[in-house]
Amino acid sequence: MKELKILYLYPDLLELYGDYGNIQVLKYRIEKRGLKPIIDRYCINDNAPDFKSYDIVFAGGGADNEQSILSKDLLKYKDSIKEAVNSGVFFLLICGAYQLFGKYYKGVEGNIVDGLNVFDYYTEAITDRKKRCIGNIVIETTLNGNPYKVIGFENHGGQTYGISNPFGKVLYGNGNKFGDTEEGFFKTNVIATYLHGPLLSKNPGITDYIIKYCLDRKYNENIILEPLDDSFENACRNQLLEKFKNPQ
Amino acid sequence: MRNFFIILIMKLIHIVLKIFGKNGGNLLGKIAYDWNPNIFKYFKINSPIIAVTATNGKTMTNNAIGHIFKTANKKVISNIEGNNMETGILSTLLKNCTLTGKIKADYLVFEVDEGYVPVIFKDLKLDTLVILDFFRDQLDRNGEVETLILKINEFLKTYNGNLVLNNDDPNVSRLGKANPNNKKVRYFSVEKYDFATDSIKEAGEGKYCPFCSTELKYEYYQYSHIGKFVCPNCDFGNNKISTYATNVNLKDRTFDVDNITYNIRFNSIYNIYNFTACICVSSIYKIETDIVKKALSTFVLNNGRLEEVKINNVPTVINLAKNPTGANVSLRILNEDDDEKELLFVLNDNIADGFDVSWIWDINFDKLNNVSRIITSGQRAFDIAIRIKTSGFENSKIEPYLSLEEAVSNLYKTNVKKYVIANYTSLQPTRKELFKHK
Repeated sequence: MKELKILYLYPDLLELYGDYGNIQVLKYRIEKRGLKPIIDRYCINDNAPDFKSYDIVFAGGGADNEQSILSKDLLKYKDSIKEAVNSGVFFLLICGAYQLFGKYYKGVEGNIVDGLNVFDYYTEAITDRKKRCIGNIVIETTLNGNPYKVIGFENHGGQTYGISNPFGKVLYGNGNKFGDTEEGFFKTNVIATYLHGPLLSKNPGITDYIIKYCLDRKYNENIILEPLDDSFENACRNQLLEKFKNPQ
Repeated sequence: MRNFFIILIMKLIHIVLKIFGKNGGNLLGKIAYDWNPNIFKYFKINSPIIAVTATNGKTMTNNAIGHIFKTANKKVISNIEGNNMETGILSTLLKNCTLTGKIKADYLVFEVDEGYVPVIFKDLKLDTLVILDFFRDQLDRNGEVETLILKINEFLKTYNGNLVLNNDDPNVSRLGKANPNNKKVRYFSVEKYDFATDSIKEAGEGKYCPFCSTELKYEYYQYSHIGKFVCPNCDFGNNKISTYATNVNLKDRTFDVDNITYNIRFNSIYNIYNFTACICVSSIYKIETDIVKKALSTFVLNNGRLEEVKINNVPTVINLAKNPTGANVSLRILNEDDDEKELLFVLNDNIADGFDVSWIWDINFDKLNNVSRIITSGQRAFDIAIRIKTSGFENSKIEPYLSLEEAVSNLYKTNVKKYVIANYTSLQPTRKELFKHK
């Protein structure tokens, strides 16, 4: 049986906004295709993971306090993470994890949390603690040449600058900064975004993009994934896209 | 003089509202507070004020404490409808005071929103504060739980009244150290119950010691992060317990405190915590045990908090769930019941619910016990349907309906026992729709 190996980083710390749901959706859609998902969790003080041996690395968002605790731990793996990114392992990074893969995060008090410097964007918190980009968000991305609307929920104080290739253009909501036209960071094997929801729950197209990418890479093929019954997802997307188009 | 006029005018508005059959909610308080935010100082209150705060269980505990005092023939003033912010408390005071601001009662019992404790009790003298639990709740509105806890901790640093704390919630128990000079701190706890687990089953908070950052060690988890814990490094959690509930039997709906058996009308572990807190409060005010026993055995809340009704002759349990823990404890009750049943889950995303519905992914829908069908409804009926499907529940047995009317009429097509879980703004519309079929 073909299998896909997923590394879930800091499940005990980056678990605030239901991002764990992304792992569940991945697992669900992998299993429905008759494939075997293997999910390993990595927590602080565990043995160093071999990043390159995974197909997908996932990390979500967490509370501010916890993010600074784990950044120190994450930095230990800077080189092996870079190597894994360059070798084509898929990275799905949400919110706090998105920020940590950049150059740095500058906190409200001006404190600098070093990032992994895998990508050259950087994030600065808004000095007013009460001001955050909060709300439903819709962006349009391009997956394998086709436009795809992505629905999620953003909740971040950090403003991310220096994005070379955004995940999508904002149709509704804020994006990388207040009132931005762009959201997230994207390259073939990396999706880094502020979108919770969880991201994959309402956007099966992204989940399947990731699964196809990983299977093609691992088994050297050009697979066409068997379609699944997405009637709930489609109904949800239609309903929400309509709702956000005509906000009350 | 100014406050006299404010009260006079509020009394007149209250009379007008009454004539039109309206309760007014927190309207009076809102007008008066906008007029003079220092008006709390004006009230002359000689009776003890007892406040209950928590993420979950405020309304039930507040009402139960009030019911105990009333059973003891005491006059109680309370915000039983659950208007629990500063304007709600103020409304209750305005409705019950004389024109000179005098309040005549034996006890004032309030449920208070977690964020408003420091605001309200800046100028009102608090005699007893009960804190039940802290869970993640509407993060897009409330922010992180830690911020809320720190606010209350700050307030408690100078508070010297009775403090009744749940020792089994590290986020609550830690508040007992806010003011080392306060000698009136009491802890309550509940003995391990039949469905307690060795590892955490549902989303929880507070894995690390707030004093030394060491990982807390749990002997068992009752639900979410509530359980018997201790910090292996600094001994945090190891407190003397004043009120300890034992022999919890949810089937018979009984538990013991100090060798006295209490019969209750509810069957969830979180109710046991609420009522143990009530017993602790009753002991502070020297209410006789027989009266407490009698009060708890008759106490019910018919407002969608574990409400048990027959609809279309089918036994139906309705429960509010505003956050992951609320939903998880509802599912615990469902899973602890071996009968075949169907579930209706109603999810809205109005401003009072929080716009962000991602919290439903913190609900544990794994391995539901003998559930034959699930109907979802509310403004986010499809979101919750996707969530349940992804947990492994067969999607052919899930029926989403945006219309509540359709959802409820389809629910009663069978006569299998029903469990209904509804979030904040969907609860009353759901009850209304259900009762149409009664």
